[in-house]
Amino acid sequence: MNKYILTKKLKANELSTFYSFLFGLIIAFLIGSIILFLQSKNPLDVFSLMIKLSVGSLNSLSNSLNKATPLILAGLGISIINSVKLWNIGAEGQIFMGAIALNFVYINLAIGNSNVFILVLLVSGFIGGSFCILIPALAKTIFGVNEIITTLLTNYIVIGLTLYLVNGVWKDPNSLNFPAAAYVDKSVYLPIITSKLSSGFLICIFFTFIAYYLKEKSVFGYELRIAGGSELTALYAGIKSKQVAFIAMLIGGGFAGLAGAIELLSQTHRVSTGLSQGFGYTAIIVAAITGMRPIGIFLVGILFGALSIGGSVIQTIGVSSYLAEIIQASTLFGALIIQFFFTYEVKKVQDV
Amino acid sequence: MFDIQFLGLLNATLQAATLLFIAALGELITEKAGILNLGVEGMISIGAVMGFITAINTENILLAAIIGVLSASIFSSLHGFVTVILKQDQTVSGLILTILGISLSSMIGKSYVGKKLEVKIYNFRGASEPNSILEVLLSQNFVFYIAIILLIIVSFIFNNTLFGKRVEAVGEDLKASNSMGLNISKTQFVATCVGGAFAGLSGVYLTLSYVPYWSDGMTSGRGWIALALVIFGGWKPLRTAFGALLFGFLEALGPRLQTYGFEVSPYLIKIAPYIITIVVLIVLTIFKKGNSGAPKNIGIPFFKENR
Repeated sequence: MNKYILTKKLKANELSTFYSFLFGLIIAFLIGSIILFLQSKNPLDVFSLMIKLSVGSLNSLSNSLNKATPLILAGLGISIINSVKLWNIGAEGQIFMGAIALNFVYINLAIGNSNVFILVLLVSGFIGGSFCILIPALAKTIFGVNEIITTLLTNYIVIGLTLYLVNGVWKDPNSLNFPAAAYVDKSVYLPIITSKLSSGFLICIFFTFIAYYLKEKSVFGYELRIAGGSELTALYAGIKSKQVAFIAMLIGGGFAGLAGAIELLSQTHRVSTGLSQGFGYTAIIVAAITGMRPIGIFLVGILFGALSIGGSVIQTIGVSSYLAEIIQASTLFGALIIQFFFTYEVKKVQDV
Repeated sequence: MFDIQFLGLLNATLQAATLLFIAALGELITEKAGILNLGVEGMISIGAVMGFITAINTENILLAAIIGVLSASIFSSLHGFVTVILKQDQTVSGLILTILGISLSSMIGKSYVGKKLEVKIYNFRGASEPNSILEVLLSQNFVFYIAIILLIIVSFIFNNTLFGKRVEAVGEDLKASNSMGLNISKTQFVATCVGGAFAGLSGVYLTLSYVPYWSDGMTSGRGWIALALVIFGGWKPLRTAFGALLFGFLEALGPRLQTYGFEVSPYLIKIAPYIITIVVLIVLTIFKKGNSGAPKNIGIPFFKENR
């Protein structure tokens, strides 16, 4: 009888993540086409409309890049934390916490110079995100509590907190019955570069390079990789793995918090439950699909941002906006399936 | 004897707990076999929407329940395929299952939003106004009793049968169970699908009795609470059931607090289960010296080494 066993390939293909992603994208669009076909819509028409309305003009391209900004920033945060082989499922909560921290500082502090004020607000968003992951980080590094579950649960705590704030103490009397905090003043809006493109995207580019440097080029990045590897190696190299992991988690949470701050200052201009539409979860797809590489996250983030914009405009022709989400999720599913063939070899062995 | 408000609270607690418990019990089975499935929320959604659509179109409640359970189970086999057979990351796969489940179900159920259901899952006993604890217990929905039966069966299987011990062994020590000759991939795959079926039953209960209608995102985080419940219960069915009662109580209490004259925001009550779970998780980990009762191999893909 023949038996099949799996072995891990010794040398992984350098470009395997890229190929997997391409295959995943093709599979996803095939699935999307089938869904559209079942709804008796012409897939080609719908997809070309999506492309036209997401990147076809300067205006729509700006929208896509704005949409990509929180995905990229939160994805970068996730990738930094993943350097130590830890998961951050809490980016959604950290995004909200960044916005909450920003609003808190905005209410309690007044700085005349609006540029300085914006900077202070962005920093407070970053700190808010770090604060949000503080408990999971402490629990992980001190007691060894599984960070997947704790970061996940903080999402719901922070969203509950947001609901509490926008329905209670922060509720804007002018928003009628819609639960939302008051708008921030126009003077602290992030400036527009051109068309609708917010300067938040520039911050995003800047932080992509920071993340790239931090992960790939710095001593800290080296320590991260060692700390994420074997415990003994870290001990031998004199690296305090727990301390390194703790700092990585705070930085990663901060990235997501910054995403929330930018979203508030450039898009929603106030705290409400609609501030993030699952950006924190989509960011996990973005980060995972690129194998946690910062430049990849930047590029795929833009693609997914454009997909989301495309998804929201095709509602006008009666196609559900969830199509974009289905395509995004299927891309990663497809990529995971293809990745299998790059990482493992199926060998036939004679059973004795 | 008891005022009507208390009985109402008890009734609502049991209903909320049933929904959470069934999904949690399914996840417990999956995790016992060493597979973490973060897709509970998505699987509940799929079960809920498929059950609801079937019920609207056929007005056959049993068929609706079966379709709901089966479709959630088939949907969860996607996770089984990717993680058990293709050995890919369980966290990522489970998360996509949630995202995909919610978006797919919203798309499928789009034309059913706001439709009125003609049939519902029956209650065991059609008491109009229960006026004692016993009557509340006896007038529950059929699914409530199914949940109790499932609790007994699953506890029995894990505590008293060789089959249960084998599943547990797969989750605890892959190498040992491999040399014992257990079929690891098969066990894990089946456990994943069973977990999906349980989540599907939760979903069916949600749309065919608990709410009963269909709208986008109506699972509203219950799948995540179910995941939290498994940890809260230390991977033990009975403790998970008590946890479900506690969390169900908190869910039922939220909208009622003001009638009792408390000035606590219902939104703060809503986040209590999550805070309790984090605290319990930390406390459990400290007291058991890093062992919270979790299956040791959870999240680790298995492949036979080349010998």
